[in-house]
Amino acid sequence: MKILIIEDEKGLRESIEEYFTEAGNICETASTYAEAISKVSLYRYDCILLDITLPGGTGIDILKAIKEKDHPDGILIISAKNSLDDRLEGLDLGADDYLVKPFHLSELRARVMAIIRRKNFSGNNLLQFHELTIDLLAKSVKVKNQAVKLTRKEYALLLYFIANKGKVVSKNAIAEHLWGDGIDMANNFDFIYSHIKNLRKKLIEGGCGDYIHASYGMGYKFTDQ
Amino acid sequence: MKLLARYNRVTLVTSVVMMLVTGIIYYYAINLILIDDIDKDLEVEENEIFEYVAKNNQLPQVFESNDQQISFWAAAPGSVKRSYIDTVYKKSEVRRRHRRRHEEYESGRALISSISAGGKYYRIAIVKSTVETEDLLKIIFGITIGVILLLLLALFTANRLLLNRLWQPFHNLLKELRSFSISDNKTIPQPDTNIDEFKELNQAVAAMSSKVKKDYKELKTFTENASHELLTPIAVINSKLDSLLQTEDFSQQQSKLLNDLYTSVSRLTRLNQSLLLLVKIENRLVDGDEEIDLKPIIEELLAQFEEIFNDKDLKVSFTGIDKKLKANRYLVDVLLNNLLSNAIRHNIIGGQIVIGLTAEKLTIRNTGDDAPLQSDLLFKRFQKSSSSEGSGLGLTIAQQICENLGFSLNYRFSNGFHTFTMTF
Repeated sequence: MKILIIEDEKGLRESIEEYFTEAGNICETASTYAEAISKVSLYRYDCILLDITLPGGTGIDILKAIKEKDHPDGILIISAKNSLDDRLEGLDLGADDYLVKPFHLSELRARVMAIIRRKNFSGNNLLQFHELTIDLLAKSVKVKNQAVKLTRKEYALLLYFIANKGKVVSKNAIAEHLWGDGIDMANNFDFIYSHIKNLRKKLIEGGCGDYIHASYGMGYKFTDQ
Repeated sequence: MKLLARYNRVTLVTSVVMMLVTGIIYYYAINLILIDDIDKDLEVEENEIFEYVAKNNQLPQVFESNDQQISFWAAAPGSVKRSYIDTVYKKSEVRRRHRRRHEEYESGRALISSISAGGKYYRIAIVKSTVETEDLLKIIFGITIGVILLLLLALFTANRLLLNRLWQPFHNLLKELRSFSISDNKTIPQPDTNIDEFKELNQAVAAMSSKVKKDYKELKTFTENASHELLTPIAVINSKLDSLLQTEDFSQQQSKLLNDLYTSVSRLTRLNQSLLLLVKIENRLVDGDEEIDLKPIIEELLAQFEEIFNDKDLKVSFTGIDKKLKANRYLVDVLLNNLLSNAIRHNIIGGQIVIGLTAEKLTIRNTGDDAPLQSDLLFKRFQKSSSSEGSGLGLTIAQQICENLGFSLNYRFSNGFHTFTMTF
């Protein structure tokens, strides 16, 4: 997959680039408006991560330029601006999603994967990982053609893991992904543990390999290694 | 009370009182003049009698003429005092048709006097009918009443028509002010008027509205910039933590440090977002109303928090009816989320949350510390219990949203339950 990261903040740009550059992903970056405009007019990307506030211009204009030329690139706006009209403006202009800063890199990846799946596999809604098959339309999971019944949260959790396969995902990020902002009321994240335990049990009982590993007591990793 | 009604009442009452007073003065003045006139006539008559007696030394013949009667009685010498009195005038006439004497009593004015003639002392009474005077007064009174009524009618109509037209620019401006919205680009049109007061009002309103709009824009830009500037470093820290997490092999101590960092960063994020939200809500920067139904929103929220209820072993019950309101969906979400979060956060293990929704109010009751909270500090910024992990802004935001939506939010403690009541 080819991804363009348009972000002026060096620290953030590097982290995103580093996080995405693995397993065949190609990342390009742009840190200014002019650089971004020249890249989006020359090359096509599977997904463009677009910051709104840039030196020399605004991400909204880049979005407009892409949409004017009818380029099919997926666009995910990442912005610290979170007022409702900003979101609506972005989405109305044809952005695929909107993620407010700060975010977890794992959340960003899950969103990017969702956009790319929607763009590229429009006819094929099946997601394959070894013996695991996920039907994204029916929201059903099969292990070796045997249906495994997951709850809504377990299904979301599995998709999140697959989008971030090979990466350690923090409990914090999982909690925020599944429960949103309300999660700070929880005394601890024990209930995440029980969701993961249930998911793991269901997959293994269905004959799937054990891919979910606890990592250093602070997160989980979905990996086949 | 409307200005016009009040003005009308004042002018009308003043006019009626003034006219009544004038009428009374008028009545007495005319009465005085007429009586004085009659008295002079009576005096002339008296003089004629005196002259006649001086010349002839006997009483004149008594005859009746010109609504005037003169009569003499013998009296004890010196017993009569000269005076004018109001009396009755007995009028008699022979009606031709009935051939009968007919007597009629009218009010009259008399001069009582005395004279000595032929060595005898007489009391003289000269009586004049005052019926004509009274008729005159009646006519004057009638005319006065007529004029009062006519004037009142004229005043009332004039006030109605004229004042309504005079105040038209004011009402137009009022209509414009009602539809004034701080966030759109429309300016208030200046109603056409050549009255100085309204011109000034127009100018003041125009100046005020443009200043308000300018301030609004500046504030909006400020909050957006502040949001960006504050959140960007936090975003970098967060992403670096996520990257750090990928480098293998942490000791237990290191992973605890990392965990604490994650927790602090997410608290910082939420605090920042809460503060920005509060500024936006306080300055009414969040707009866009839609028709929303509270019941499904609450049910959705409860489903979202199910694991947290289980985690804390909370028993949650919700009874409610469909309640539709016109409000901003985002703000209502934040409001309900904050109130419910509060009920969860300050609860005890194995506690209860009871939510009730009626057409008039939403109540959220929760168990918790067995002592009432200080209700005057409760909604202040950064007021929180020492054990709370929250930002201390949740209830402040909730109350501010309620204020914006025109609801009231109150706290009460009874029977071990902390109750927050939102009255629509």
